[in-house]
This record gives sequence, C-alpha cells and structure tokens, in this order.
Amino acid sequence: MASPLDTLDKIVGSVEGLVRAKGKKGIAGIWTDDHAIIGAAAQTKALGIKKFDTISPFPLHGIDEAMGIPRSFIPWVTFIMGLAGCAFGTWFTWWTSAVNWPIIIAGKPHWSLPAFVPIIFECTILFAALSSVGAMFALNGLPKIDPPTIDPDLTCHKFAIFVPEDDPNYDADKLESLFKEHGAIEVKKAEF
Amino acid sequence: MSEKTLQPPGTMNVTAKHKTIFAVLMFLGAAAFVVTLINNPERAWHGYLTSFFYFLTLAIGGLFFTAINHMVKSGWHVTIRRFGEAMAAFLPVTAVAVLALMVLGVDHLYSWLDPEVVAHDPLLQHKTPYLNRGFFWIRTVGFFGIWLYFGKVLVGKSLEQDKTGDEGMSDKLIKPSVIFVLLFALTYSLFSVDTLMALEPHWFSTIFGVYCFGGMFQSTMAFMILTIVYFMNRGQLKGYVNENHLHDLGKYLFAFTVFWAYIAFSQYMLIWYANLPEETIFFEPRSKGGWMWMSLGLVLGKFIIPFFALLPQWAKRSKAHLSVVSIWILIMQFFDMHWLIYPNYDEEHVVLSVPEVLIFLGFWGLFLFFVTRFLGKNEIVPIKDGRIHESVHHHVVY
Repeated sequence: MASPLDTLDKIVGSVEGLVRAKGKKGIAGIWTDDHAIIGAAAQTKALGIKKFDTISPFPLHGIDEAMGIPRSFIPWVTFIMGLAGCAFGTWFTWWTSAVNWPIIIAGKPHWSLPAFVPIIFECTILFAALSSVGAMFALNGLPKIDPPTIDPDLTCHKFAIFVPEDDPNYDADKLESLFKEHGAIEVKKAEF
Repeated sequence: MSEKTLQPPGTMNVTAKHKTIFAVLMFLGAAAFVVTLINNPERAWHGYLTSFFYFLTLAIGGLFFTAINHMVKSGWHVTIRRFGEAMAAFLPVTAVAVLALMVLGVDHLYSWLDPEVVAHDPLLQHKTPYLNRGFFWIRTVGFFGIWLYFGKVLVGKSLEQDKTGDEGMSDKLIKPSVIFVLLFALTYSLFSVDTLMALEPHWFSTIFGVYCFGGMFQSTMAFMILTIVYFMNRGQLKGYVNENHLHDLGKYLFAFTVFWAYIAFSQYMLIWYANLPEETIFFEPRSKGGWMWMSLGLVLGKFIIPFFALLPQWAKRSKAHLSVVSIWILIMQFFDMHWLIYPNYDEEHVVLSVPEVLIFLGFWGLFLFFVTRFLGKNEIVPIKDGRIHESVHHHVVY
C-alpha cells in the first residue's frame, strides 16, 4: 500500500512535470562573434531548417531577417485588447455612474464623458499591457523551470545556434561543417 | 556599405522653378495681407499672428530637435540633422516678423494694451505688472535674442565642422544644447503665453505652454519627414538615410500626436471639472456653433485619425504613407493655431477664408525660400560629424 508520502511525491512530480521544461536533443554551435552568427543563421536557414533557434545575451540587429522569423502577432493582441479595454471602460463607467448607482457629482450629468476619459484610458492601457505580457509568456512557453542549458556563458558573452533533431532537414554532419565554416568555436550535441 | 565609399550628397539643387513658386506664394500672401490690412486691420493681424506663430514653431522646433540630439549624443540623427538646422535658418526672419507685429500689430490684438480698457477692469489692473507694453517688449526682445544666439551657435558650429572636419565639435555642442533646452522650455512657454494666451487676458492655464510645445514637436516632425522624403525620392540621400530613420521620425510623430491629445485633454478636463468663470472663458466660445465643430474636428483630425494612421509598423516605414499623414498633420496644426487665435477676432463665427489661407501660403513661400536657400548653400548631410557611421548603419528592430 502506498504511503501518503508516496502519493504526495507523485502529485509534486506530476505538477513539476507540467512546468519543468522538456529539452529536445540536437546540435549546437557556439560563437563569440555576434557578426559571424548572423551569417551562420542565414546559412542554416538556407539549408531548409525551420525549427532552429539562436541564443544571445543581448538583442542582435538583423537576426530576425537572417533566421527568417516573421513578425510576431503580439501587436494584434495589444491592439484588439486595447480596443476591448476601451469599450469595457466606457461601458463600465456608464453602468456604474448612470445606471446602477446614479449620483449627481458637481452638478454634472450622470454620464459625463470628460470625467470618465481617464478611467477609460487606464482600462485601455491595462487590458493592452497585461494581455501583451500574457501573450508573450504563452508564446515563449514561460515560465520554464530549470531548462537545460547549452553553455552557461550564453548569458554573458557567447552566442549559439541550436538545431533540434526533429527538424525534417536535420543533418548533424552538414550542420557541424557549416558552423565550423562560419567560425563557431565549438560544436556539440546538446539538449535545449 | 562603408561610409568611406559613400559619395557626399552635395547641396540642394534649388531651381528657378522652386524660386518662382516661392515668389508667387510670397506675393499672394503679401497682397492678401495688405488688402486685408486696408479693409480690416484687426482681421489682417489675426491672420498674420496665426501664420507667424505657426512658422516660428517650425523654425524653433528644428533648432530644438538638433539641440536634444546633441544633448544626448544621439548617433542615429546625424544624417537628418541638417534638415532641422535648415528649419532653424528661418529664425532670423521670424525676428523681423515679430518686430512688425510688435510695432504695428499688437494694438489690434491685445485689449490689455489699451489704457482705456484696463482703467475699467480690476482684473487687468491686477495683471498689469506682467501684461504691460514695456515688459512685453523686454520679454520679446529677450526671447528672440536667446533663440537667435543659440541658433547661431548650434547651427553655426555644425556648419563649421563641415569645413574643418573637427570631430570634437560634436561634444563641444553638448553644453550650449543643454542650456538652450532649459531656456527653451521657459522662453517658448512664456512667448506662447504672451502672444496666444494673452489674447484673452482674463484667462489663464498653466499647461498652455506645454500644449503649444506638443503641437510644435508634432508639426516639426511632420515637416522634417516631408523634407527627407523629398531628398530620398531624388536619390540624394542614398546610403545616408533609409526607412529606419523614417521609422524613428514616424515614432516621434506618433508619440507627439498622443502627447498633444493628452495635454489638450488635461487642460480641457480640469477646466471643465472646476467650472470656474475665469477659466471656462476660453472654452465657452469654442463650444458653441461653428467653433464647437472645429473643436471636435481637432480631436478627430489631430489625434484620432493620425493615431490610427500611424499605429502599424509599416505605416512608419512607408515614405508615401508617412508623407500623406505628415501633410495632414501640418494642415491640422494650422487649424489648431486658427482655433487658438480666431475666436478672439469673432466669437460667434469661424472666420476662415481667402485672406487667412493666402497669408498662410505667403508664409509658406517665405519659409520654404529660406529653408531651401540654406540647403542650397550647405551640404544636406553633416558628413564630417564623427558619429555619422552610427547613423549610416542605423537599424530599428521595433
């Protein structure tokens, strides 16, 4: 018979399993030159590889174009949720001040738009900002607990390209020679 | 592309056609002004003040743009700085224009200059230490002295760098830029108080200078974008200016569209809420009849339309789209100036017809003449600035 502690262990394990990042196996090239890695990323894309990722300690100018990453849809989330927030603020100030609990304030009409514009404005910003952050978290699969690392220096002064094995055009030998050719200081099998 | 292989862009080719157009505009404006002056001097001077303030705003806006960029050692702006300096080249003309206004025009505009009016108005008597002819003169001369001086330093040193190639010059301009920006905040606010707010001397609004500043930066960006697109379309800025610079200017245009609306609404809401007679006196004529339509039109035309038109990323990177929005904003800025000034001339009706438009076009001719004259004499890009490589390789991610 399982002890209560075993059950607890199982529950903790399954919760952990949900949030713990699952790494994929693949090949990683590591650079110390941020210009070289942009060229290497463009060549990786030219090989027909689609699922690869570039890891850098700071934003790289031109990496989106080199990797062929399309523009994020998050601006649309921001825009639509901003409009929704604006509509909600308008409806809510009207409902609270003119319908549900009408009070005359400073001799103004119950529903006085100028007084409510700040609230409507704040609702617009709140909805747009929170949903943008939420969409960004969802899109990046955050939060990730204890994800596998390719190299600890990638948060400091190194750059990496990672190609997972499950990419249809994955070819470890080809990628290794390509990375070396573009000045990678190290190429290794990794999990990310 | 390396900056070493770039060809200097040269100067603007100001053709006879340009000059003819400017001369015709100037002639039309001058003729309309003189005819109106004979028939109705009050209207003529209101029209003059509208256009004068509009172009003073553009001239000093150009200087302000170069100053803030020197101040923060900005790299990206170098290849477009000369267009701001070109706008500042109009400053000496505004100094002459303000002289005409001060000598001939002010008595048609400001009731507090009339001792007869002040004698019967306790509120105006109370404001006499500030609102009097002598101090008005001192302030105006002081403000223009400051602007002309800093215009000469900031633009003059930048042009000198073109000849000497002294890269240290950019750093030497930081100090005067900081001083100018601080003085600018004070002088531009007070000058807008003196010339625009004082049209209704009983009224006061502490945010008024900021309101004028919002419109200033918005219209300055709009004009700069149009100038840059003109030279880009001629291919003269190839390798120097690209859509990344336009993107940043477009962001400025967008930001100050929002800023203007924010300030305009802040001013309105507080006055509306408090409902005090000496404050609502400004909005009262503007919330009736034709002026009400103009007030609502400004909300729509100067904020809502450009806001949505500039929101997408592509909108700020497209030359054609950005040009259309810029022209629209420049027109809206004129309506804004008109809305600030003309209710003082006629509270009941929106007076806006041939004389106002022609005087405005006349000032356009004058302004464009001096801007193109400057660009025709000087390199349109300050190629000797040490930070130019940053600007040539400017790249905007978001």
